[in-house]
Amino acid sequence: MTTTRWARRLTVFGSAIAATAMLATGIATATAGAATRTADTATGTLNIADEWGFSWPCQFNPFNANDFYFSFGPVYEELAYVDSINRGAVTPWLATAWTWSNGNKTLTFTIRKGVTWSDGQPFSAADVVFTFNLLKKNPALDLNADWSVLNSVVAKGADQVAFNFKAPSVSYFYYIADQTPIVPEHIWSTVKNPATFQDPHPIGTGGYVLSACSGANQRFTANPHYWQPGLPKIETVNFPSYLSNNAANQDLTSGVDQWGSQFIPNINKVYISKDPKYYHYWFAPVYSVALWPNLKNPILSDLAVRQAMAYGINRPLVGKIGEYGEEPGANQTDVVTPTFSSWYDSSLAAKYGNAYAYNPSKAISILEADGYKKGSNGIFAKNGKQLSFTIINNAGFSDWVSAVNVIQSELKAVGIQVTPDNLSGSTYSTDVSDGKFQLAYQWDTGGPTPYYELRQLLYSANTAPVGSPASSNYERYSSKSTDALLGDYVATTSSAVQHQLVDKLEQVMLSQVPVIPVTEQVDWYQYDTQHIAGWVTASNPYAQPGQYVTPDWGVVLLHLYYK
Amino acid sequence: MRFVVRRLGFFAVTVWAAISLNFMIPRLMPGNPAQVLVAEHPHLNPQALHSLLALLGGTTHQSLPSQYATYWEHVATFNFGISLTTSFGKSVDAMVYQALPWTLGLVGITTLLAFILGTFIGLISAWRRGTWLDSALPPIFVVTSAFPYFWMALLSIYIFSVTLGWFPSEHPYNIFTDSPNLNWHYVGDVLDHAVLPAFTILITAIGGWILTMRNNVITVLSDDYVRMARAKGLKPWRIMWHYAGKNAILPNLTGFAMSLGFIVSGAILVEYVFDYPGVGSLLLQSVNDLDYPLMQALFLLITMAVLLSVLAADVLTAVLDPRTREQS
Repeated sequence: MTTTRWARRLTVFGSAIAATAMLATGIATATAGAATRTADTATGTLNIADEWGFSWPCQFNPFNANDFYFSFGPVYEELAYVDSINRGAVTPWLATAWTWSNGNKTLTFTIRKGVTWSDGQPFSAADVVFTFNLLKKNPALDLNADWSVLNSVVAKGADQVAFNFKAPSVSYFYYIADQTPIVPEHIWSTVKNPATFQDPHPIGTGGYVLSACSGANQRFTANPHYWQPGLPKIETVNFPSYLSNNAANQDLTSGVDQWGSQFIPNINKVYISKDPKYYHYWFAPVYSVALWPNLKNPILSDLAVRQAMAYGINRPLVGKIGEYGEEPGANQTDVVTPTFSSWYDSSLAAKYGNAYAYNPSKAISILEADGYKKGSNGIFAKNGKQLSFTIINNAGFSDWVSAVNVIQSELKAVGIQVTPDNLSGSTYSTDVSDGKFQLAYQWDTGGPTPYYELRQLLYSANTAPVGSPASSNYERYSSKSTDALLGDYVATTSSAVQHQLVDKLEQVMLSQVPVIPVTEQVDWYQYDTQHIAGWVTASNPYAQPGQYVTPDWGVVLLHLYYK
Repeated sequence: MRFVVRRLGFFAVTVWAAISLNFMIPRLMPGNPAQVLVAEHPHLNPQALHSLLALLGGTTHQSLPSQYATYWEHVATFNFGISLTTSFGKSVDAMVYQALPWTLGLVGITTLLAFILGTFIGLISAWRRGTWLDSALPPIFVVTSAFPYFWMALLSIYIFSVTLGWFPSEHPYNIFTDSPNLNWHYVGDVLDHAVLPAFTILITAIGGWILTMRNNVITVLSDDYVRMARAKGLKPWRIMWHYAGKNAILPNLTGFAMSLGFIVSGAILVEYVFDYPGVGSLLLQSVNDLDYPLMQALFLLITMAVLLSVLAADVLTAVLDPRTREQS
């Protein structure tokens, strides 16, 4: 179990839909499945291989932190779809248009007409207003903390909804428009306790309706009245529950399942070689996995020590050995490439040794210049204090454990001793957020531009004193000038200005080395082209292809069709 | 009578201790479910989380004694609350009821089969000591029993599922084409899917029964009453069943009664490898997720099953073997 469902959780992004105009020709041939046809244009069956490790609870509340993955996308939909792996391209969805006004403090959506809920009731702007006020009344449902920045959400005219923010919040468009599912007022207004509502028969606007659910399988069937004409093309989607990784990999390699979101060790031999003509994979990098120094530690607060570590780690090698070569090495700007290459400031990176590319002799010379001397055991020391640290890690992620072993031997070679301390999942995450570590191996979460990740790393409001939980700034970095850069970004809708600001944030990462990105987390994604086409590819990244990414997996399902 | 009363008293004390330990142990473990939830969902507002936990009956800010009192109340009414992490919001009872039939069916039947077959093979091979049967079967099964469950499971998947394609390698039934209902097709499908996991459990569990039964029978065979029976000219099968077998089976029967208790805990590794949604898988998941209510319900279920079967074993032995009733 290299990755657990938890390990693979990340937030999402959306894409350009392109409502591909191909007609399903009706050759169907489902590998399995005897569902009845519901829509004339929808044919065939798609089976998903994604190990979650438990039997399905058959709960579909899209605001339940555990269950929203199962309904948000195919059943419940968003106002606008943001494709995080395609330059944050935005596609109108339940909203047809939007504008920022009032100094970027008001966001007004125009709501699409002619959309119906799957029970036949009409969808309207009132549902949108209801949904957001539901979150306000029930903070437990507000998974993205929309109301930490919102003042009010009100209807404007017949088909518009205005979102009033406390302060300019351009980056919150992503959470409001893409990450918040819209639910029907006529159903949810009668729910007594929305926080514990199980929603076993979800009614949404999406391309699919839930047709059957048992502990072993969730079955979705094409919604015959979907608002996007001619979609979806696939009639039945099976989402079986896999309790172990190997069982899911087994169904994927034998062709029973066509869409995989699996970690497969040695994927070329285990998966691709079974049917090289039709089996494919694409691992799109989405955010960084990093070595986090605790900046409150007196030795690690020394910039030279962190720089030496950044030069002393051979990042591609960590990805090659620790992650079977399935995750690329990261770079010190924390801009994930190639996904966000247009944001990567290569001329700036060149000034910092190509963003701290592996250079052990440089690492040693930095430490020597800082007054460190190698002791008889080969470890650098200054004033009697050795560069010797423990690094906490999640023992449940075997790939991370081997990645840290690589880091350990590499740093040893430049005279820095790190000792892995592999903790159980809950102890580990508590210690990370409470700052009870010297070094930690941990990831961030991403967003449609590198800004989201950088903000989580660097924003001082995201940190806390050691001993109290920090939400994402675990290294305890705090700088007024960096906060100002982050604040400027959310006050502008100009892409050029946003690029300039991210460049400056990259400079912060390069010059101050607050954290050391090591590898790039990817979306696990395998696909079988024998009968089904329309898959996400590197050249057509219309959505994040990980099945566990919401609402993207709904977008992917709408693009697939039987050849 | 005194014996039964004494046993029952002891049983009551053990039950109290077990239930109390079941309450304490999860609370002594590091971490708490709220932290797990936060880690899984970093955007969730901590205050919202606390209100949610309180709403769901999560006992995050109740004093320990009052938690203990509530806990007993729940135990008495078989109400174990709501899953906090594994399947957020789902009733724990429902989750256990969903998993239990699969485990009882698979592990229960294979335990029974292993006991019957093992005892029978042990008896025969002791009776026919020195024949090819005796020199082949016990050693083979003792060797297979020494293999770890999961290794055997992976091996059997490789041979019978991947290579030969005879049996499905996962899930309790064909989840793509079938859904639970009472018809022959579904029952046949379930049996088809149970073959490999059952085979694995059987082959790794049977050796123990064979070995103890065989040794017991050999000891019994040299007893005077067996010689007496032979001298009387009784038929060999009658001696084997009624004289040797009946006496030699006592220790095995006790062992069997005790193993019944462990049926409900499932075979974690087998269920994991075969993707079987039984109690073992549920237990593994609940511990991974620090799902207190679910863990407590499962541990309690297992503890009670073991205690009850130990009690049953005691009583059974007392009934079958008069010697154990008197203190020497």
